[in-house]
Amino acid sequence: MNRWLNRSVTLVLTALIGWGLWSVLHWLLLAADWRVVVSNLPLYVVGSYPVDQRWRPLLWMVALVVLIGFTLLGPRRGPLQRWLPLIWLAMAPLGLWLVAGGLVLEPVSTRDWGGFTLTLLLTFGSGLLALPIGVLLALGRRSRLPVLRLSSTAYIELMRAVPLIAVLFFGQLLIPLFLPPGLEINRVLRAVLAFAFFAAAYIAEDVRGGLQAIPPMQREAAAVLGLSEWQSLQLVVLPQALRIALPSLTNQAVGLLQNTSLMAILGLVELLGISRSLLANPVFIGRFLEVYLWLAAVYWLACTAMALLARHLELRLDPLRSDR
Amino acid sequence: MRRRSLLLQVGVAALLLALLALLVNNLAVNLLRTGLGLDFGWLGRPSGFALAESALPYSPSDSYLWALTIGWLNSLKVIAAGLVLATLLGVAAGAARSSSNRLLRSLAGGYVAVIRQVPLLLQLLFWYFVAFLGLPETPIGGLIQLSNQGISMLGMPLSVEFCAVLTGLTVFTGASIAEIVRGGVNAVPRGQWEAFRSLGLSEGLGLRRIVLPQALPAILPALTSQYLNLAKNSTLAIAVGYADLYAVSDTTITQTGRAIEGFLLLLISFLLLNLLISGGMAGINATVLGRMRRSR
Repeated sequence: MNRWLNRSVTLVLTALIGWGLWSVLHWLLLAADWRVVVSNLPLYVVGSYPVDQRWRPLLWMVALVVLIGFTLLGPRRGPLQRWLPLIWLAMAPLGLWLVAGGLVLEPVSTRDWGGFTLTLLLTFGSGLLALPIGVLLALGRRSRLPVLRLSSTAYIELMRAVPLIAVLFFGQLLIPLFLPPGLEINRVLRAVLAFAFFAAAYIAEDVRGGLQAIPPMQREAAAVLGLSEWQSLQLVVLPQALRIALPSLTNQAVGLLQNTSLMAILGLVELLGISRSLLANPVFIGRFLEVYLWLAAVYWLACTAMALLARHLELRLDPLRSDR
Repeated sequence: MRRRSLLLQVGVAALLLALLALLVNNLAVNLLRTGLGLDFGWLGRPSGFALAESALPYSPSDSYLWALTIGWLNSLKVIAAGLVLATLLGVAAGAARSSSNRLLRSLAGGYVAVIRQVPLLLQLLFWYFVAFLGLPETPIGGLIQLSNQGISMLGMPLSVEFCAVLTGLTVFTGASIAEIVRGGVNAVPRGQWEAFRSLGLSEGLGLRRIVLPQALPAILPALTSQYLNLAKNSTLAIAVGYADLYAVSDTTITQTGRAIEGFLLLLISFLLLNLLISGGMAGINATVLGRMRRSR
């Protein structure tokens, strides 16, 4: 680039950034009123969860934060590291048990679930459900059997053509119409199912991309070694394919977390939903910017933590790294 | 082996059909129980609700079918404008990310990093409630007049809702397009740049004749899927009260109670939109790649 042009671009940008910083500072010091955030912190975190039981979702979140910290910063080797994947998998049922209650804990109705707790539960629950469905769909789409191939392809293409809000709408209002009279599924579970069936179609395409990247020789080699088709899939093909698909699967997971905010339109009080009801309170009227900045920070942190974890996993699984 | 795979297929087919039959049977039972049944006759009845904006004349005495058509056109309007603006923004930001000016580069990087990690719905609410409704009541500006009642661009009036949805979709999709453009340009080997520079070609000419023809085949398919995403995401317009296809369908379903029929119509209209976009992109793809092949 021409030197003078370069300098003038820098100058203009500096002026713009300066002006932006000035208005932000002006707003922060003179206009912003953070009471709408500070005095409602418990609502953002746990929603209208019973006050004497709030320690349960909080405990779960503390456990999650500790686990994230340990995974990212803990020792590379050691007895705990081997159990780490299992501990992560156990976080979803643990969260469900802590929040929903049952066994020794007092049951809490899904009507009282809310805030960031509900956001996390929706993300975890639907993600764990969507992954196996997605893998099956990907395998189905690559199957030699026409019935499997066609039905998987039709499902994937149809799901990817419709907007998520329509699928969620279907989950909230139409699923009850397709169930036998008398059988009812609560709203949170219906949302989790809708998210999972939607995300599975996208996950299937990412996994299919990973499967396509495995050279056919791998399968042939496995067959020569006497592995059955199922064994070769399970021991040779899928582990490699999933590793290749990991970066795009991460994007799906981050997208899933962001998309849980759509439930605010359909009446669940997850993080965005609870903020909308707070903003409707006359006491906090007009405090949109404070709330939206706060929410943006929370979502940004959660998504970035997710991306960091996935990056960490990618490095650990990289076969070319010697210090595993 | 062959018999086993045949059996497996028959088994899967039977399972799927049984599941489908069960669901349809449940639906029929439920519809009978509520006394609804499937019926599209209501489409001709007057809708009774007003729409804030319509590309063609519309009043509450018009039929539901016409209201849905207006919603479809409103969707098309915001999607078409969004595609153009998001592409411009995305290409500009993508180019800025590989610029030699460090400030410009990091600014574009920051834009992508922030926008992609924050939910689109939250961004839409921000643009609507903070940015556009925060404008002064009396219009400011000359050729483009801004106020919280609406925006007038060269005499063409645009509603605040439309502007908020358009800005949100543009900024959000632009960040993804920037990544695609950067990835596509980076995929062209550095040697190609050095080669055209050493041949004495100008940066612009080299970019147009050497780099872009090699980057575009990688960029266009990814761009198509971003365009489809933008179209799907436009349904979030309901959160700021823009009368798009989904918002009108939602109102229609609430008023008539015809959830199944309304949902089917929504699906069909959406598939139509998708076909329009992917068909258009396939055409562009063929033209661009064909022209490049001829010019080489």
